[in-house]
Amino acid sequence: MSTLLTALRTWLVPFRYGLERWSYTMQRISGVVIALYFVMHVASTGQVVGGPSVWTLPPYEYAKQVWLETKEFLANPLFDAGLVVLAFMIFFHSINGVRLVLAHFGLILKKPTRPEYPYHPGSMSRIQRVIFWVSVALATAALVYSLDVFFKVLQP
Amino acid sequence: MLEEVKFKVLRYDPDKDGKKRFQEFRVPIRKGMTVLQGLLHIKEKIDPTLSIRFSCRMATCGSCGMMINGLPRLACYTLIEELKTRTVVVEPLRNFPIVKDLVTDFEEFFNKHRSVKPYLIRIDTYVQEKSNTMYLQSDEELVRYVQFAYCIKCGLCYAACPVVATDKTFLGPQALAQAYRYYADSRDEAGVDRLKPLGDGSSLLRCHFAASCSQVCPKGVDPALAIQLLRKEVLLRS
Ligand code: SF4
Ligand code: FES
Repeated sequence: MSTLLTALRTWLVPFRYGLERWSYTMQRISGVVIALYFVMHVASTGQVVGGPSVWTLPPYEYAKQVWLETKEFLANPLFDAGLVVLAFMIFFHSINGVRLVLAHFGLILKKPTRPEYPYHPGSMSRIQRVIFWVSVALATAALVYSLDVFFKVLQP
Repeated sequence: MLEEVKFKVLRYDPDKDGKKRFQEFRVPIRKGMTVLQGLLHIKEKIDPTLSIRFSCRMATCGSCGMMINGLPRLACYTLIEELKTRTVVVEPLRNFPIVKDLVTDFEEFFNKHRSVKPYLIRIDTYVQEKSNTMYLQSDEELVRYVQFAYCIKCGLCYAACPVVATDKTFLGPQALAQAYRYYADSRDEAGVDRLKPLGDGSSLLRCHFAASCSQVCPKGVDPALAIQLLRKEVLLRS
């Protein structure tokens, strides 16, 4: 139990350790959410196609029926809101993920130097901060766009 | 300037009831007073049973690391006035077992440090027995690792790391930074042999680059930078 509490406290509470800890927390949460969505997505798509029998039994009556039922089930503003949040997460996770991969290969890090005080860690270089904020900006744009798609917020 | 601050100190004594609880003390402060001096005031004037560990009082020995107002810091290197609060909350370092009160057990931490062979490995060991042996190094070669050599093994980075918090098999920022420090040293001849043991899933690759280690390091070591540089070598060379 205490390990679970420690996990929640350290994974989900990004305060006071700088931008990089925010990136870590958001990357983790979005990663888990996207993975869970992916499972649901495959499951619901599987429902729609109705399994392998669909392909052997034209004219796909059964598939059509399942497709309509699933569509009805998913036609719910809650799922739409979930997709809006998901749009933010996918954009953030993938662009910030590219930054992490580049950093893991040592490409966008500062070179080691003699530390001068007050010291600013070179691990979070300027270019990395820029990519982080670009990922947040594009994710926000995706969020606004999908808000418009689902809830018509931008249309008069 | 405040006249007095409240110290809220976490107390724990395994030989008594083994329960953790906070105890409050009022400490008169003066300009330039550190958290360590506040704790010493408590120990000398109010409660001599309070256990703390310190030695140099000048951010050099690395003994006095503790959680101060929620962040890992050196007590001797933290001015009370810089905290800008009327209450100073002091707890033992996170991610370390507690021995008593503010004293934590560094055995696991030092074992991890030892495991990365924190010394120069050379094939010409016999030459070193001659007292006049010198290994010359240019300034560029020095700068490649000297930042990481400033580590005082205070454990603050280890306490800040969210991966260490839940995975004790992870080597942690300090040991990994030292692994890179020796790997990058032009005098060291171990080469990829240093990288091989780090290629498994838990020792190095568990690092998720939260970089909290670099935020709290009092010596500007930037372990997160060393780890990413090391990871690059492991990914590309080993
Ligand atoms: S890397 Fe910095 S924070 Fe970590 S043990 Fe060394 S000096 Fe302390
Ligand atoms: S007492 Fe030595 S580092 Fe604080």
